[in-house]
Amino acid sequence: MSAPERSRASPSSLAELVELMPHRIYDVIVIGTGAGGGMAIKTLCEAGLKVCALNSGRRLDPHKDFRSHRMPWDLKYRGFGDPQTHSASEPDFPGPSEYVHGAWETEHVHTTAPGTDWVWPRCSAVGGKTNFWGRSSAIFGDIDFRAASLDGYDVDWPVTYAEMAPYYRRVEQMVGVASTVQNRPSNPDGIYLPPMNFRCLDMILQKGAEKVGVPYLPDRISQLTVPLGTHPACHYCGNCTSGCDVGAFFSAPYFLLPAAEASGNLELRTNALARNIVVDESGQAQGVAYIDRQSRREFEVYGRAIVIAASCLETTRIMLNSKSRHWPTGIANSSGQLGRNLCDHLYGIAASGYLPQLVGQPSFPDNVSDSSIAWMPRWQNLLHPREEKFIRGYSVYPDGGCWEFPSYQDEIEGFGSSFKREIKRRYPAPISMMTQIPTLTSPQNFVDIDPQAVDSYGVPTLRVHFQWGANELAMWEHSKTMCGEVMRAAGGIVDFVADHPESPGYSQHEIGTCRMGNDPRKFVTNRFGQTHDVANLYVADASLFVNVTDKPPAFSILTFSLRTSEHIVQQFRDHTH
Amino acid sequence: MAGQNIERREILRILAVAAAAAGFPGFQKWAFAGAHSHSSLAQIKPTAYRPVFFREQEYALVERLTDIIIPSDETPGAREAGVSEFIDLMASRDTSLQNRFRAGLMWLNNHSRKRRGKLFLALAAEEQVALLEPLAYKAKYRAGEERGRDFFDLIREYTVMGFYTTEIGLKELDFPGLRFYSESPACPHQNDPEHRHLPSPNW
Repeated sequence: MSAPERSRASPSSLAELVELMPHRIYDVIVIGTGAGGGMAIKTLCEAGLKVCALNSGRRLDPHKDFRSHRMPWDLKYRGFGDPQTHSASEPDFPGPSEYVHGAWETEHVHTTAPGTDWVWPRCSAVGGKTNFWGRSSAIFGDIDFRAASLDGYDVDWPVTYAEMAPYYRRVEQMVGVASTVQNRPSNPDGIYLPPMNFRCLDMILQKGAEKVGVPYLPDRISQLTVPLGTHPACHYCGNCTSGCDVGAFFSAPYFLLPAAEASGNLELRTNALARNIVVDESGQAQGVAYIDRQSRREFEVYGRAIVIAASCLETTRIMLNSKSRHWPTGIANSSGQLGRNLCDHLYGIAASGYLPQLVGQPSFPDNVSDSSIAWMPRWQNLLHPREEKFIRGYSVYPDGGCWEFPSYQDEIEGFGSSFKREIKRRYPAPISMMTQIPTLTSPQNFVDIDPQAVDSYGVPTLRVHFQWGANELAMWEHSKTMCGEVMRAAGGIVDFVADHPESPGYSQHEIGTCRMGNDPRKFVTNRFGQTHDVANLYVADASLFVNVTDKPPAFSILTFSLRTSEHIVQQFRDHTH
Repeated sequence: MAGQNIERREILRILAVAAAAAGFPGFQKWAFAGAHSHSSLAQIKPTAYRPVFFREQEYALVERLTDIIIPSDETPGAREAGVSEFIDLMASRDTSLQNRFRAGLMWLNNHSRKRRGKLFLALAAEEQVALLEPLAYKAKYRAGEERGRDFFDLIREYTVMGFYTTEIGLKELDFPGLRFYSESPACPHQNDPEHRHLPSPNW
């Protein structure tokens, strides 16, 4: 399919006439409205800069689009989705569901190199994945920023914890994080709201973990256990990842965009699919070419600076597709590193089973945050970076108890009244442990543009090259042993251990394709997320990150974006932009 | 606190949404199974369900199998919850599922005729159970019945899906979610962290 024609040829609508008028030049164009884009939009607008934000999907109306409070029988397919549209080959594919309609994309805009398995859930709604995220919010420390100095693999980040700490503290206060001070060497502490309470299963597993010598602690979770400013406290209904109708956990539409809109400095264009960065005669960024998804026509919008935060892989795709005389292999890619160093979290069920102590007990509201209340933060390679058979470390999210659906039914034999009774008896007892294992960078793991494929808008698609490496697979084996030990030490029965981890991409934590670093020959951006080659082009999502750590990325995306955005404001004050 | 008013407003809204959703066409028993204390729903009269995908004979067999898998005993079972209607709907939307169900039902009837000389539905209840047990319990597996075991797993899975997503099914489990709590629910056995001294199981 060929690219849509330029709208300029024959104006037939008001929108096109507006395009024909002398160009308005905004201070900053921001691509994306999720954690990175949302924070940039808020910070820039509040500083008085005129911002045009491009978002590839629509705005959501929480009261219409989030069906999180519906019982399964109130959904036509009971929450399993229409079998006709639900991909049978990817039954656990995170994203589209009956509970959230029309927020997740269904088209695949990537291909995979032979031997690569990669899933890429994409949320195009305003606010992006922050609408539905897991809210786990541990922060990076020097054990992460200086990992290369400790174990000799790869490179350090161009920042230190001391430098980032003040930004982390400000984001904690803006967002509200429930947790406790834990004094863990791999987990810097912050400023916290009261923690979520431990449930029976947490109390039991914590005792087991203690016996094995593994930490079992309240997670850091961006969920309001008490009201924060105008945001109400959580009501613990438990369907968070289908969207919150009262905004009791952090998401960009509830926490960042209202302030930007109130400033009068934001113009948000929805259904605007950024295609490429437009450059001027000197190769500097001049604007963004985007496709209006409703009319399928292409428009351009101009700014003095551009922040790109479309999510790691989409950001990379836009940059690789921004080819010009100046940038023949993609914008700001003189280092050749754009698209390289793709890292991901290996997710997998390291052990699952049940706690016999809880069999036959009354049901209990265990699922009040739709993910982990507790976690087992990295405990490996802390005293010495090479204590284990692998370098770095991983974390584990334990969970279980009374959820909506008795998915442990596979573990119970038979049928009839005894089967029905056993399903009921087991209901409070299931537990499972999900790993969060960082991959190391590898020359084999990268993305490029597929020369032979375009998406339904005619935009060249990304091609993913990715394999799990030996280090992460060694951690996966280790996690299976350790999680089994913790469960058994707690008196639990292990009845399932996954043969394979989830597919790469499943975690939605991909990072690293526009890495930050001081050397322009080796890194795409500098320590502020500003591209080395194009001074007025900034990156503000997880593609900047140097390694993937054992922590989830969203909270750090917010923090790095805050710092980058304030750097941009300073450049405007200094008249650099 | 700002959050205190949520409860009533939300519950009213959910009831409204649920009432509207229960109006999907063709689900007499679902509406019945999910009946809220809402006047318009109370007036819905269950009428004979007309299957969308299954033939009448197949549908009767599906209904009987769901009834055997999750029976009505001290509490309502798959039949009251209209599980066969759910299976019919899911199958009607997925051709590969249609083939698996149709071939499986056919296998079961052939198997029944071969071993007992009658179609499955013509057998006495205890004969039906005796025919299914070798498909459901590892210790009773018989060679040559692999396809039957696969089919039994399939229909059991869909019966569980269809049952525990109705109000009847979630009431059976005393599903505690999608309610409203003023603080995050805490373990009530703080002085027994290992939970070694819990009261004897309820069931």
